[in-house]
Amino acid sequence: MLITNSYPITNNYMVFNSLEFFVFLPIVFVLYWFVFKNHLKAQNILILIASYVFYGMWDWRFLSLILLSTIVDYYVGLKIHATTAADQRKHWLWVSVIFNVGLLGCFKYYNFFVDSWIDMFVFFGYELKSTWMLSVILPIGISFYTFQTMSYSFDVFYKKLKPTTDFLSFAAFVSFFPQLVAGPIERASNLMSQILNKRTFHYNQIVSGLQLILWGLFKKIVIADSIGPIVDDIFTNYATHATSTLILGVTLFSFQVYGDFSGYSDIAIGTSKLFGIELMSNFKFPNFSRNIAEYWQRWHISLSTWFRHYIYIPLGGSRGSKLKSIRNICIIFLVSGFWHGANWTFIFWGAFHALAFIPVFLMGRNAIYKDTVIAQHTMFPSFTELGQVLLTFVIVTFSRIFFRSESIADAFGFINRLCFPFTYEPYYHPMGYRMIDYYILITLFVLYEYIIRKNERSPFMFKSKVVRFVMYTIVVLCMLLFYDSNIDRSFIYFQF
Amino acid sequence: MLYAFLMVFCLELIVRLFHLTKDYPVRYVDEFGVEKWVPNQKGFAVTGIRRQNFSEYRINNSGYNSYREFSPTQDQVEIALVGDSFIEGFHQHYANSIGKKIENRLKDVDVYEYGYAGYDLADQLHMINIYKNTFDLIDYVVLGLKFENDLTRGTYTVLQDRMKLETPLYKILRQSKLLVYLQNIGAFDSSKRLLFKITSLNKKYNSTSKNISEEALHQQYIQNFESLVSNYGFDKSRFTLLLDSAHTPQVFLNYLDKNGFKYLDFSPPLTASKTSTNLIYDMHWNNHGRTLIAKLIADSIANNLEK
Repeated sequence: MLITNSYPITNNYMVFNSLEFFVFLPIVFVLYWFVFKNHLKAQNILILIASYVFYGMWDWRFLSLILLSTIVDYYVGLKIHATTAADQRKHWLWVSVIFNVGLLGCFKYYNFFVDSWIDMFVFFGYELKSTWMLSVILPIGISFYTFQTMSYSFDVFYKKLKPTTDFLSFAAFVSFFPQLVAGPIERASNLMSQILNKRTFHYNQIVSGLQLILWGLFKKIVIADSIGPIVDDIFTNYATHATSTLILGVTLFSFQVYGDFSGYSDIAIGTSKLFGIELMSNFKFPNFSRNIAEYWQRWHISLSTWFRHYIYIPLGGSRGSKLKSIRNICIIFLVSGFWHGANWTFIFWGAFHALAFIPVFLMGRNAIYKDTVIAQHTMFPSFTELGQVLLTFVIVTFSRIFFRSESIADAFGFINRLCFPFTYEPYYHPMGYRMIDYYILITLFVLYEYIIRKNERSPFMFKSKVVRFVMYTIVVLCMLLFYDSNIDRSFIYFQF
Repeated sequence: MLYAFLMVFCLELIVRLFHLTKDYPVRYVDEFGVEKWVPNQKGFAVTGIRRQNFSEYRINNSGYNSYREFSPTQDQVEIALVGDSFIEGFHQHYANSIGKKIENRLKDVDVYEYGYAGYDLADQLHMINIYKNTFDLIDYVVLGLKFENDLTRGTYTVLQDRMKLETPLYKILRQSKLLVYLQNIGAFDSSKRLLFKITSLNKKYNSTSKNISEEALHQQYIQNFESLVSNYGFDKSRFTLLLDSAHTPQVFLNYLDKNGFKYLDFSPPLTASKTSTNLIYDMHWNNHGRTLIAKLIADSIANNLEK
């Protein structure tokens, strides 16, 4: 049985920032391009094996879940395609949804529901003793791969994709290791077609992939990992810190979670490029968003896209009345919050974003920044843009109090201390390091991201080789300066 | 490839230019079997990433980090501080050491610091015994003692593991400051773990290691203490142990009291301090901690001098 009380995040796992991965990746790369170069089938089998090894190094027993999910959706895809009767097609789609959501429900949400049920009885004065709690660990990446396999069944159902009869390639699509555990959640219509077609070796694509890996590692090691201990300290001891420190903590958390997750996504996209596969962008400099709607077009894009295509649009999207549209927006944000974790904090986080989004929607400003970026044709942003960006950042950062807090009581406790009364005190790094280093680091990071804001796929887009070289060196130097072997290097989004 | 080579070259330059990592003084074992630093070296010690703590060391003619040379006489009052890295004090400027702070408090007293990272009581007593002529001229000897670390053996031998650091391979590797930096920040820890994982794949772990009880271990350490004292001598009139009672079992403190071994307990002043006494990212004493230790020793010696 998969029974344990431990949390899924572990340093034994072959994460992107581990040495194991940097031994594993070149081996797979060489086999892929130099041994199985002309054999698509062999390349796909290699991807499949590599992916199962990659995941199995965390816990091989959970490979059974991936395999089961693969078999179900492969079969469902064929069945949906084979029948023309609308009812039967729908029934088969429900098989996929119920199975995958059932997996999530069992491993991710079951205990939450039992807990909430008991809490509800306690609220009404009845005491219940739980004997139904499951002692199961959360399989890493379950929220990501279940959504990806479901996207296949959806795409076949909506006739955007023909089901494949090549089971091994389909299994490679489901378990593709660069994005298996934390996305981007690819739509089948994008990734499946690439898996089924011959890939060719392009030098520029490889270089571009390596650049993204380097930039992703920078964001993870230098930004996220280095400020992690500060954030942990402030959120753990929020009751004893001054208001100024709490503001610092939640602001730094904003950068931590961005560095962590976008860093992961960059490494995933870069790694895929090494195998000739293009994944969708997951982040487009969300810190420069001018309103909440733009923020959601730039933050965790693959999840937003998934929800938009498979939930929001089928619900009617914004085509009906305003009231119906608002209902749909609320559903999307609440589901999105709940997707992140079985905790009321995430549901509040989702609700907060819905409340922030609705006014923008009602003003008709939810799509006005869709195809542009701040200071689109100028070097510097206007004061209006600057104000918009700051306001959006403040709203998003505030919402992250819910995202980061252990419980809803902690979140409100944090907010309470944040609001009354304002107090200031200097903050000292819990491990004794100079705080000024981090302030300079974050400032330079924001400035650099501003410079490259127009193309998230080319973090080193400078034409001059010398400038590029200098940037590579600075990035590696920063990694050396901020790397700390004592820090937990797990990725935040692995817990989702 | 060219990019990678140039980058390594640039990083090596930067690490050297900004002195991001520590210098390694050369160690040796002298003709008496005492392990220490090769005399007359200078360099910089760096602690913590991004050069959080930066200080200069100076190895004197006797092979220890000190601003002064050791030449005791009958006429002068001398104190010897003997111990590990806490006494050695690479994390402080050599002219701001515990010894110097004691000298600032006591007039006409010279303090000799025989500190060397990793010295346990066997190293200390063997060294005092083998340099008997010198130490007989020294009026007070303070020996740093960490009960859990410093009493693991009852006789002295040169520790070959430490001396491995002076093999040609290590010396060559240390020529690259970038490598030294990477090693110090723990960048090789994961590769060591991976190597360990691979090499231990086929090994069956024998769970035959005995679970020694804490009491038995303490008794073993006390026996080692007795053995060391018996083998190398311990002048109870001049020698004082410097220890932390918070990390020393009561049974050993009782043993010391019962057998007339003097000791200075630095736990009370350090615990009472309102400001930190450690470097935080490094558990050695910071300037404030060193000042408190110096005061403790100086007050004790001053009492003895008055008597």
